[in-house]
Amino acid sequence: MTTATKTRPEFDYTESSTGPGYNAPQKMGRRLWAPMFALALMAWPIGLVLSWVRAAEIVSATPDPATVARLGQLVPAFMFLGFMGIFTAISFAIARILGAFRRGGGEVQQAIGGDVQTLKMPATARVFIAMTMMGMMAITIPVILHFVVAANVTTWAPETVVRWSEVLEGFRRLGTAMYLFAIAFGLGTIIQVLRFQAQRIRGLANEATA
Amino acid sequence: MTTRFESLTRPAVGGDYRSQPRQRTIGFVLAAVGLVLAVVTLIANISAANGDDPATAAETLAWSFGLTTAAFGTIKLGIAAILIGVLVRLSIRVESVRTSLPDLAPAGTSPGTIGSLETDYGAAKATLTTPRPLPIHRMARRMWAPMIGMGYLAVLAGLIVSFVWSANVGTSTGADAQAWTQGLQFLGEGLLLAGISFLLGTILASLREGGGRVQESLGITVRTLRMPTTAKVFVALMATGLMVSIAQFVLYVVLAASNPTQVTFASWLAWLGPVREVGLGLLLAGIVMALVTIGTVLGFQFDRIKDIVRTGN
Repeated sequence: MTTATKTRPEFDYTESSTGPGYNAPQKMGRRLWAPMFALALMAWPIGLVLSWVRAAEIVSATPDPATVARLGQLVPAFMFLGFMGIFTAISFAIARILGAFRRGGGEVQQAIGGDVQTLKMPATARVFIAMTMMGMMAITIPVILHFVVAANVTTWAPETVVRWSEVLEGFRRLGTAMYLFAIAFGLGTIIQVLRFQAQRIRGLANEATA
Repeated sequence: MTTRFESLTRPAVGGDYRSQPRQRTIGFVLAAVGLVLAVVTLIANISAANGDDPATAAETLAWSFGLTTAAFGTIKLGIAAILIGVLVRLSIRVESVRTSLPDLAPAGTSPGTIGSLETDYGAAKATLTTPRPLPIHRMARRMWAPMIGMGYLAVLAGLIVSFVWSANVGTSTGADAQAWTQGLQFLGEGLLLAGISFLLGTILASLREGGGRVQESLGITVRTLRMPTTAKVFVALMATGLMVSIAQFVLYVVLAASNPTQVTFASWLAWLGPVREVGLGLLLAGIVMALVTIGTVLGFQFDRIKDIVRTGN
């Protein structure tokens, strides 16, 4: 397969004799959306059950402050492990859609018999990938630190535990915002691909009738 | 009103298929605004953690909660705008394929068979005309706009109540405002995600109808994928998630109205927080299933176009 990079107004694309198939992020998206989805479905019930245990401890006749504080760390840790899983699954599912466009668009052009033009990864797709990774880090690190704090509720001062909780909460939320931002850019990339493909198929028809 | 919102998802009459969609720009701007607001709340939380006065910290954390949820809501509004842009581009793509295929495909040699068939992407059916929209598709087209509108209003209302909470920390008014903030804002988030889910359902409807129209215009058998299992799971998860989001709101209102003791209040907040998060989680899980279904449908349609280009049938 020979490949050449070309540019037409607004689009950078490659030209080749055969369809390019999936790229690496799209292959990863096709393989990993389901495991990340399963991770979320496993983590949330654990967080939910631990929250019931914590609520029961709070209203018990002799509540143990250490248990309440420890569960206060574990509940958000499991809930946000689940959110990390589901947001990553959404990002991978979007990559899977982009893969369907890339592979399908290439194969259709190959079947028509013309040169196969494929949009190069747009800047919005790079932002999508970068923000997904940053969002994952911004949630995973606080989740790990919640387990660290939970292990130290009896050795650290209660104020220290509270301060850690407040900071970790802020980072978890930022991670969620980063994931949502990434999803917006992933979907924005789909619009760019749709525009490219709509123009390409009209171009092929014009070439056929010329 | 419904027709006016539906018209947002269609290209302007006489619009240029090469034009840059403004919905994408609006969506990116809203997403950026939401991200900046989230950074502001991170700074607020860090300053609350480093402060010496617990009362001041509690006040900061109260409005920070309201602002964070408003930030998420703003990004979701941006995502909805981008999905509207996707719908417009899908209509334009259908028109491009419909216009171009007659010049690219050979004349068909024989009509295909009518009835059920198995494909690499699951069960499909072959008909002479474009299948009518499914009830869930008609519902999705009508419901996305009210859901998004009501959802964002609830999030903003919750933001205002969070300022009341912040100004009354440690009092019963503050506790009531806390319950209302959390209930209202997560109801709003749930409605926004339901609106996004309905937009994804509208995209699926558009793919189904568009694929049918292209095939019908060529005078060949119309092959349509039957509703995949992932689509059925999508509908179930979305309905369950929306019900949980409404239930958590009702429970927060009950909590605020019941004048609970401090211990009871803390106990309810301990389990209601994860419940409201599970509600959103189920809606997000439904969105994963919708996106997976869209990927499957696209694969089926590209295969179908290849068949038409190769054989004319």
